[in-house]
Amino acid sequence: MADTAQDQSLVQVKGLKKYFPITQGIIFQRKVADVKAVDGLDFEIRKGETLGLVGESGCGKSTTGRAILQLYRPSAGDVFFKGKDLVKLQGEELRKMRRHMQMIFQDPYASLNPRMTVGDIIGEPLEVHNIAKGKEKKERVQELLQIVGLNPYFVNRYPHEFSGGQRQRIGVARALAVNPDFIVCDEPISALDVSIQAQIINLLEELQEKFHLTYLFIAHDLSVVRHISDRVAVMYLGKIVELTDRNALYKSPLHPYTKALMSAVPIPDPVIEEKRERIILVGDVPSPVRPPSGCHFHTRCPIVMDVCKKDDPAFRDVGGDHWVACHAV
Amino acid sequence: MATLAASLPTQTRARSPQMWLLRRILTNPPAALGALVILLMLFAAIFAPLIAPYPYDQQNLDYIEKGPSAAHWFGTDGLGRDMFSRIVWGARSAVFVIVMVTAVSLALGVPLGAIAGYFGGWADTIIMRAADILFAFPGMLFVFFIAATIKPGIINWAREIGLSDLARTGYLDYAVVIIALGVIGWAGLARMIRAQVMTIKEREFVIGARATGVPAWRVILRHILPNAITPIIVAMSMGLGDIALSEGYLSFLGIGLQPPAPSWGNIIAENAGRYWRRFPEMIWLVFIPGLVLAAIVFAFNFFGDGLNEALNPEIVD
Repeated sequence: MADTAQDQSLVQVKGLKKYFPITQGIIFQRKVADVKAVDGLDFEIRKGETLGLVGESGCGKSTTGRAILQLYRPSAGDVFFKGKDLVKLQGEELRKMRRHMQMIFQDPYASLNPRMTVGDIIGEPLEVHNIAKGKEKKERVQELLQIVGLNPYFVNRYPHEFSGGQRQRIGVARALAVNPDFIVCDEPISALDVSIQAQIINLLEELQEKFHLTYLFIAHDLSVVRHISDRVAVMYLGKIVELTDRNALYKSPLHPYTKALMSAVPIPDPVIEEKRERIILVGDVPSPVRPPSGCHFHTRCPIVMDVCKKDDPAFRDVGGDHWVACHAV
Repeated sequence: MATLAASLPTQTRARSPQMWLLRRILTNPPAALGALVILLMLFAAIFAPLIAPYPYDQQNLDYIEKGPSAAHWFGTDGLGRDMFSRIVWGARSAVFVIVMVTAVSLALGVPLGAIAGYFGGWADTIIMRAADILFAFPGMLFVFFIAATIKPGIINWAREIGLSDLARTGYLDYAVVIIALGVIGWAGLARMIRAQVMTIKEREFVIGARATGVPAWRVILRHILPNAITPIIVAMSMGLGDIALSEGYLSFLGIGLQPPAPSWGNIIAENAGRYWRRFPEMIWLVFIPGLVLAAIVFAFNFFGDGLNEALNPEIVD
């Protein structure tokens, strides 16, 4: 897939922040603190690539995906997509842009409206973007069902009549309906059976090739991310700590956090697995309400230095398109 | 692929849970009884002219204050009117008021509650503070206040537009009752809808709809409200009996439907006023309309309970 990735960026994220305010009081609400879910991200997603986004639960992966799509309005920063700054778009203009960017959700049981038939669910994007109506819409829906590997006669059924994997295919068909360029896949397989996970991954890869899609693939399963991504970004407590080509990241991670993460991946070769050294991090992830000063990772870093406690390391290219935010690198 | 397609169902179909729901209600004895009483009332309301043996206001002064008999099942009142006919026609008043008040409450409460819940912010503040103001008054006192103050206004307005005949017929009394109860009724409904909308709008399928570019009004109509409706239907089905009761005591107190218009409330009022001294003897004149009204209130409550249990199978007392 690396050959389809060109050096042409489709989405540029600049200084993206999303803070959720914590308020007190019932009538006169005052802000007492912020949950700094996403705390300043700079990266780009290139046309035709799959950018993997990994990190622990609560590090801001999903918030990043939603903030890019403006499902959460960012607190600061810009998201450029197709030459427009999505953050500055409002109302109808933004709604029209949604035709080009879609999302696939984690939980296939929660992401489909239980009161709508499959035909209505998949056909709705076609209708609201004035792409197809009536008979034409139905034909397109049946075609989409076939594309994602479902029986086209399922149009009049309800989501509860399907298994988790089938539902996720419906979710994929809905995202695909408007022929988008960019799809945010928010942990699209983590709620599925292991045997079904591979099917959905393969489907996503097939579709990417067929329809020249660009994915932001959010996950916490490192092996899956390694399999599907061209480049991988590692997030820790609202920041991206390392971003580079998949092979470089898995073979020679630079950031101490990435190293710890990679050391947790089992190797399917008993001889090498035997020699695998685990780096066990001490302590818990600090609260995103009061992230540590300087480098967010310094409280748990095995190679922490004095400068780490004071200065936030810059996220910079250390050569070979390998971006990392660490004073020690 | 062809053989696979052949083995798969070729019929498109839509499964509906309505029949299943109906079965669950009818196999629950109190709920089934409630449904039966409600159906009886609806039947009486729709076919009142055919069922009632006499006009509701026909007086037979030679035959007053008589007990139940073959000709007059529920006896006759002080003006010689057939009580059975008046009670059957009373069902029509009750049903009409229930339907109209519900329509007014829904028309106000659903859009206001949905807007408050979905958009939040100042729209939420304004709408919910207005609802709070209504809740701050003792409910019925406020209804009396509205009924008593708007009635002259409505009558004057009817005269101004040249409908003074209408002002005399008593139809305007219905309007007064419906407006007074509807203006109160929307607030509770709006609160419920708002709470439902606020939880449902965070669910993934709603975010999914927004992500695909569905406009806000359509998200509310197609995605949120259909999923919010179940608890609201339950609460409303229990509230319908209360509307009948409210109409009853507005009419009982003389600010609702006026005699000779038949209402269970004013039937009780007329007869109770006249006969309370002769209590045990003339009891059917008060007792029967009271029993009918109580039966309706219970019926709606039982039915609402049954509906709730049928819709939420995990509820076990």
